[in-house]
Amino acid sequence: MSDVVPFRSPRARAHESTALVGMIIFVASWAMMFAALFFAYGMVRSRAAAWPPDLLRLPLGLPALNTAILAASSLALELGLRAVQGNRARVAGALRIGAAALLGAAFLALQTVVWLSVWAGGLRADSGPYASVFYGLTWVHAAQVAIGLVALAWIALRAARGTYSPARHLTVRLWTIYWHFVGVVWALMFVAVFLV
Amino acid sequence: MNSLVRLASGLSLLLWAGVAHAAPKPETAWGLPHDASVNGHLIDWLINSTSVFVGLLFAIMVIWMLWACIKHGADHPAEYDHGDGKHHITVALSISAAIFFVVDGNLFYNAMVDVRGQFWNFDKPESHPQAVRIEVNAHQWAWDARYAGPDGRFNTADDIVTLNDLRVPVGTPVLVQLASTDVIHSLYLPNFRIKQDAMPGMINRMWFQAKETGEFDIACAQHCGVAHYKMKGQLTVLPRSDYDAWVGRASAISSVAFDAKDDKAHWGWAWKPN
Amino acid sequence: MNESSAYQDLQPIHPEPASFWRRCVFSTDHKVIAKQFLWAGLLFLLFGGLLAMMIRWQWAYPGEKVPGMGAVLSRSGGVITPSAYNTIFTMHGLIMIFFAITPIMIGAFGNFCIPLMIGARDMAFPALNMISFWTFLVSQGLVIASFFVQLGSAAAGWTTYPPLSTQIGTPGTGQTLVVLAIFVTGVATIMGSINYVTTVIRLRAPGMTYMRMPATVWGLWLTAILNVLFVPVLGSAALLLLFDRAFGTQFFIAGAAAVKGGGDPLLFQHLFWIFGHPEVYILILPAWGIATDLLSFFARKPAYWFKGSVIAMTAVTILSAVVYGHHMFVTGMNPLLGQSFMLLTLIISVPAELLFLNWLHTLWKGSIRLTVPMLFALGMVFVFGLGGLTGLYLGTVSTDLYLHDTMFVVGHFHYTMAAASFLASFGALYFWFPKMFGRTMNEGLGKIHFWGSVVFITLVFGGQMLVGYAGQQRRLYDPYQYTFLAHLRPLNQWTSFFAFALGLSQLPFIYNFFQSVFAGAKAEQNPWQVGTLEWTLPSPPPHHNFDTIPTVLRGPHEYSNPEVKKALGRDWIGQTENLPTGATSGAVAGTGGE
Ligand code: HEA
Ligand code: HEA
Ligand code: CUA
Ligand SMILES: [Cu+2]
Repeated sequence: MSDVVPFRSPRARAHESTALVGMIIFVASWAMMFAALFFAYGMVRSRAAAWPPDLLRLPLGLPALNTAILAASSLALELGLRAVQGNRARVAGALRIGAAALLGAAFLALQTVVWLSVWAGGLRADSGPYASVFYGLTWVHAAQVAIGLVALAWIALRAARGTYSPARHLTVRLWTIYWHFVGVVWALMFVAVFLV
Repeated sequence: MNSLVRLASGLSLLLWAGVAHAAPKPETAWGLPHDASVNGHLIDWLINSTSVFVGLLFAIMVIWMLWACIKHGADHPAEYDHGDGKHHITVALSISAAIFFVVDGNLFYNAMVDVRGQFWNFDKPESHPQAVRIEVNAHQWAWDARYAGPDGRFNTADDIVTLNDLRVPVGTPVLVQLASTDVIHSLYLPNFRIKQDAMPGMINRMWFQAKETGEFDIACAQHCGVAHYKMKGQLTVLPRSDYDAWVGRASAISSVAFDAKDDKAHWGWAWKPN
Repeated sequence: MNESSAYQDLQPIHPEPASFWRRCVFSTDHKVIAKQFLWAGLLFLLFGGLLAMMIRWQWAYPGEKVPGMGAVLSRSGGVITPSAYNTIFTMHGLIMIFFAITPIMIGAFGNFCIPLMIGARDMAFPALNMISFWTFLVSQGLVIASFFVQLGSAAAGWTTYPPLSTQIGTPGTGQTLVVLAIFVTGVATIMGSINYVTTVIRLRAPGMTYMRMPATVWGLWLTAILNVLFVPVLGSAALLLLFDRAFGTQFFIAGAAAVKGGGDPLLFQHLFWIFGHPEVYILILPAWGIATDLLSFFARKPAYWFKGSVIAMTAVTILSAVVYGHHMFVTGMNPLLGQSFMLLTLIISVPAELLFLNWLHTLWKGSIRLTVPMLFALGMVFVFGLGGLTGLYLGTVSTDLYLHDTMFVVGHFHYTMAAASFLASFGALYFWFPKMFGRTMNEGLGKIHFWGSVVFITLVFGGQMLVGYAGQQRRLYDPYQYTFLAHLRPLNQWTSFFAFALGLSQLPFIYNFFQSVFAGAKAEQNPWQVGTLEWTLPSPPPHHNFDTIPTVLRGPHEYSNPEVKKALGRDWIGQTENLPTGATSGAVAGTGGE
């Protein structure tokens, strides 16, 4: 993937693959949690008389835009990772990772707008199963976005400080995996909660 | 709870004080409670036959362990054997298979027959001409029961409504449809070997058939809060004639007690078809 | 050998930190974290045990003053009220499962055994390991706190079924704090389990093939895999329940209490048991592993068809994911679904039977040494026989119609968890104590502790089964309210007396434990004469465990091998030992599986 093939000591390589194995197991675990949430969504919906209830419509535009934003953010981060691996961490890497973080922040901002507008539209957390699914699922997802945000901002800074080299940038790789996962979950959620 | 419903059931109780005051007979010996149902013996037999198998296995296991501990102690030279030879494996597998086919096989086969033929076979009672239908609404911490009354329709003026008091005729299948208004309860008839959860937002069903008259406990089997331990009622099994007589009188009283404006009292639902 | 020297480089030796805090409190050393989990777990085991004693008191003397509890139950003048009783059994169950047995068996022995037995210098992620413990401690703190808020702690049963567990059934902060505690302890468990799984995959010493791993490690590893996959499901159930309690969402609320249709109380039961059934194997798999090893060690005989036992444990691990419906037979589930769950449940008994057969064959023609750990292992097999076999009655739909939610279920799971996992944990403690603390425990007191425990455990939980067979429901503040249960009072009373005796027979252990930790005789390196890696290290092992990462030559159960006897004059050989003269190590390495 990267043009320069840097030398990495056996220890560093072993350390990396161990970390990657751990990350994969973590993602599997995290995925099970969302699998359970979607299972809940399915069961609640299958019992509901009308879905969505009484003519109520969730906004589509903003969530769609948000999906695009998150995708862009994932892309930016991936490019950032490539930059780090291509020994261009200080400028290109930092900027791209920073961009990914900003896009993530934008996602949260828009998501808040969606929540507020829906709330103002009369769909409260306590107005029944439909609202429960809408708020419950998006809340949990927003939480993991927030976690990712903090991490991205942090590694963007460290990239700018030149902490990462083609040989040493494991943290960036791990958080990239996490962030892609966050994106995928959102895509599923967009389809399940807003589209169908 | 609505006072008129109480009054109604109270009156009907008074009418049949003789029956109502006769309490269930206490059990005398340990072991399964007295079986008053037509199908209970199926479960009892399956439990007890399994106990024989299981007891045998357990005895073998214990004797084997004791024997080894006594005979093959520190002074006995251990045999060097990884037990992964072909014949070892074949023996181990075939013993497990044998245990499975005998013990679990017996359980599975009979359970399938009993469940499909009796306990969960609702065509049987539904198709019975004289079957008794009762709607039960559980709530913290009591059982409301509702009989359709002469018009055969639920949630109407002539419904018989009772509190913690089920009356059924002997020898005819009794169908119960169950709901709950607050938390999960479980309608449990120990002397009939069955129970069924009462779920909020769901209508569950169960059926049983008494083989003898008498009074029996109705228990709640699902933890439902502070008074779970005394959420009990009484099931009275009457001779058919007494039962019919009771239905007549009780529905008469109920129509008097009926209050069209009191929604709380109309918790019933149209009987759910099979 | 140069293969091994490469390994030396992969796991660098970090010098032991100098400061007391980094060494003993915020330590990343798996051996220290293991001890921290052990203390935290034992303390809560005591707590849960005392709650159990109160349950038994209530059933022996309903509504009578509990001796010595006047201060605790001051508001009710020393008697247990119905609501207090609900809190007592709920917290007894939750504490024992999540905050006592789990930290002891998985937290303590998982941490201690895995790196030492596979030849690693520490866990894969030592820092994560430390965070896992402190997160767990937070959850224990939440549990304690829940007792001091208004309306007291959780009271909806350990299964926390809504709607009872929502504001409708149990208002008050206590229930919320406990649900939060379950979520937090879940997070801790996941961190720990990611560590265990990765460590086993990545840090096995050269030559330590999967089939050469001790059964203990196998059990802990499979348990960790189940934890990683199914604790998140419990996590999301707890999360949604918290939303329902705190923000008025309606995932689980239905019926009169619900606005606009409402959610589905059954949904929670699905989520809970999708986790909950694997959880019960989470609690038994390490016990199975420990028993498999101890039986072989002290029968001085190779574990019989070790590969078969490993396959059986793996099969149970996989099957455990598809039987959970047997907890919900009477919830009104689709009959076909119920019948399928019955079949799958019964199938799970096959690998269990295989495991038993292997254990019995391991004992047969052995040279059995009835040390304290061995006694506990044998006791575990004995009580698990009872627990496992009683599971069959429950797995069968028709018999479960009668037995569900009776004390028969309670007896079943006490024989399996409270007896089998409980005894196995103590077996492990007596066995590894010398390695953990570098001191030896008193043999005589250990034997008293064993006989007291195993005898009274059998009687207490047998008493539970009998009243269950007679139809007594669970979770009854006063069973004798029911006419059909009134005659069970004497039986319950005797069960209670045995339970108090069981409680008392833990005292010798408590004394023995403290006495040995602080003043026990110095332990030698390999007191049990066994061949697994941890016994090649001094007791206690140094901070970095292995000066040089060993190269493993054979399986963990190489006992009474005539070749070894000839060459070394003893009935055991270490997993890393070279056979000096003549006999090629290959001949021995070959056995024990590849
Ligand atoms: C460590 C925990 C543990 C273990 C290992 C098990 C093991 C099993 N359990 Fe248990 N179970 C629980 C803990 C456990 N359980 C708990 C906590 C609950 C209740 C939760 C609640 O409601 O509060 C429960 C409830 C429970 C239910 C629900 C009951 C109900 O609510 O109505 C069922 C139903 O199928 C069940 C079945 C089984 C089965 C079939 C096994 C099988 O795995 C058993 C397999 C073992 C054997 C079949 C025995 C082996 C064979 C022999 C001993 C013979 C050997 C002799 C020779 C070979 C000669 N269990
Ligand atoms: C592994 C879990 C576990 C363990 C070990 C136990 C142990 C015991 N349990 Fe428990 N029990 C449960 C899990 C467990 N239980 C669960 C899940 C429930 C269901 C709850 C519900 O329905 O919601 C339950 C419910 C339950 C009930 C039914 C309550 C009801 O339905 O109303 C009863 C009644 O007899 C009971 C009794 C006992 C007894 C007498 C013990 C005895 O074995 C206790 C003996 C142990 C001790 C006395 C502790 C001694 C202390 C030490 C050895 C530590 C030493 C300390 C230091 C060295 C610091 N338990
Ligand atoms: Cu109603 Cu228990
Ligand atoms: Cu189960």
